[in-house]
Amino acid sequence: MITEERRKELEEKIAKSKEIVREAMGKFDHKNLAITWTGGKDSTLVLWIIKQVCDEEGIDIPKLMTIDEGDAFPEIHLILEEYEKKWNLDLVWCSNKDVIDAAGGELGADVEVAKLSQANQKEIRERLDYPGDKFPFEAESWIGNHLMKTVVFNDFLKKNNIKAMFMGIRWDEQEARTKDEYFVLREGDEYTPEHTRIQPILHFTERDIWDTTLTFDIPYCPLYKQGYRSLGAATTSLKMSDIPAWEQDLENTVERAGRRQDKEEAMDRLRKLGYM
Amino acid sequence: MKNIILITIDTLRKNMLGAYGGGDSLTPFLDTLQDNMVVFKNPFATGPYTQASFQGILASEYYLEYGKEKKLNKDKTLVSEPLKDAGIYTAGFHSNAYLSYFFGYNKGWDTFYDSMSDNVTDMYPFIRGNDINKKTEGFLNNFSFSKPLFLWVHYMDVHEPYIAEESYLSKIDPSIKLSKDEMFSLFKNVILKRDISDEGTVDTLKKLYMAKVAETDQYLKELFSVFESKGLLDNSTIIITSDHGDEFSEHGGLSHDGKMYSELIDVPFIVYDKSYTNTVIDTPVSLIDIPPTICSMMEVTPPSSFKGKSFYPFEDIKPYTLYGEAMGKLGHKEKDTDKPIQYMIEDGLKVIFKQDGSVWEAYDLADDPKDTKDISSSLTEDNKQKLESFINRNK
Repeated sequence: MITEERRKELEEKIAKSKEIVREAMGKFDHKNLAITWTGGKDSTLVLWIIKQVCDEEGIDIPKLMTIDEGDAFPEIHLILEEYEKKWNLDLVWCSNKDVIDAAGGELGADVEVAKLSQANQKEIRERLDYPGDKFPFEAESWIGNHLMKTVVFNDFLKKNNIKAMFMGIRWDEQEARTKDEYFVLREGDEYTPEHTRIQPILHFTERDIWDTTLTFDIPYCPLYKQGYRSLGAATTSLKMSDIPAWEQDLENTVERAGRRQDKEEAMDRLRKLGYM
Repeated sequence: MKNIILITIDTLRKNMLGAYGGGDSLTPFLDTLQDNMVVFKNPFATGPYTQASFQGILASEYYLEYGKEKKLNKDKTLVSEPLKDAGIYTAGFHSNAYLSYFFGYNKGWDTFYDSMSDNVTDMYPFIRGNDINKKTEGFLNNFSFSKPLFLWVHYMDVHEPYIAEESYLSKIDPSIKLSKDEMFSLFKNVILKRDISDEGTVDTLKKLYMAKVAETDQYLKELFSVFESKGLLDNSTIIITSDHGDEFSEHGGLSHDGKMYSELIDVPFIVYDKSYTNTVIDTPVSLIDIPPTICSMMEVTPPSSFKGKSFYPFEDIKPYTLYGEAMGKLGHKEKDTDKPIQYMIEDGLKVIFKQDGSVWEAYDLADDPKDTKDISSSLTEDNKQKLESFINRNK
């Protein structure tokens, strides 16, 4: 499908990523390393690259964590389960069960703050400074995103004594990412343990991801074939068109459109217009 | 089946368009479409601001149906939902915060761009028409056209703060020499304060507004050329309308508050299709009928939650009674003390009831289309009872 020249280019990009992975493995003890794996195209490529390195070195793939926000695509669960077995992965399924239970597992249901665990209440009151009695259970809203992702992530770090996490961030994802580095130290505080984020595929573009995935037979979620370009919570992720992601004009269109339903963003617009 | 493209232009007064006799046309591009247009001469929005009107345009619902709700009630169905369920591809592109994910307008779209995570400035607090066009074009470039398409494109450019471009403003009034900062300070100090004390300033604001209408006509031209390049003009029907108008002191205010006068609820409604010949329809129609009409055009059964009825095919349209409702807010912010305001249009008579002070008003639409002479003293009990039964419909 791709030219020999392009294949070489991709191999160089993979080699660069492997170098980062090896550097990380030299810096951190295997037991303190972990991989975030969402089942999406980026983190799956990261996993595949780490697997190459581990196979070459004859070592086990580090522990993996995936977060269930309570609003996952079934197709994502399937790919996680399939490769957990096929590749014999040590995959830890994480979620903020307390919040999911309080919402009765129902999206949009009101969650009463007082019924949550002390730890979750503390996050809401002290860290987010949210004064309300309740909030709607939505994975990608401001509170939902924090409780369902950030808190779960931090808990995983603490419980497993993780010092460094592999992540699938890319420079071309959005403006804010363009200055990211391969190794980013996150200083710890009361809530977040100090840890390093290792981002071995920063230099891959969305086009590189697809060319690599298809050329090297890397698994991908079938939703991408339906026109999705970016997969988050099921109810807020949308297709960007109805043709496979890799057939789309990736260079002139955006990968995701407003995946988070952020109250503050909408309110800020209304304030600018004088409505709030 | 034809594709349906719904283009909504926020805050566009009906009388700005050539099709509605808007004098020195601000919309030269739209005017070129007239030979293939059905022009509805008397369309009415269900409310005078976005939240009150878009419940009609996209959910076929009245604003206060479930109490005072800014967020779209979960029980309401957007027109995108039955269309998507019927296998039609649904895509929406807009930049109005009140129509964003957060307010519940993301339902039923295969592709939905609400711009909320993009950066905007104070002077242009929304994504402008040229960028909305780019998003739409990008989508169309990636679309297979293997399914029928329902496409919604919404422009915000006409909405205040009216930062007008020199090239358009100079054609309307070359004597206005305002910098963009000065235009923005008119927004802050005059529009937001509803200060109509200086006639000259109000006139200037209206001209800035008109320049934004002319600018939007250019965006429409660009969008149509994208449609042309995709072959969409040959197999699509295009509806162009607005959610509400804007006031320039006609009834003592500015912008769009909770009033039901012509400058706010008279909106354009035109339907363009290459196969149509120029037709004018005088029968008043309500925008609450847009969702069932679109369903009917796309051969989809409308959900029972829709309050409106299809008026397609257009030649069969029969006169009916129109209603609308909003909160009677004055100023940009809705207050807890604001009370509802409702209207009814029947047999050429507009009846308005303001719950604040229990005030009735009535206007003869044929003799007095701008609502200047209140004839409520001649209202019959029947007229009042009919509007009251709408107001109390859920009690």
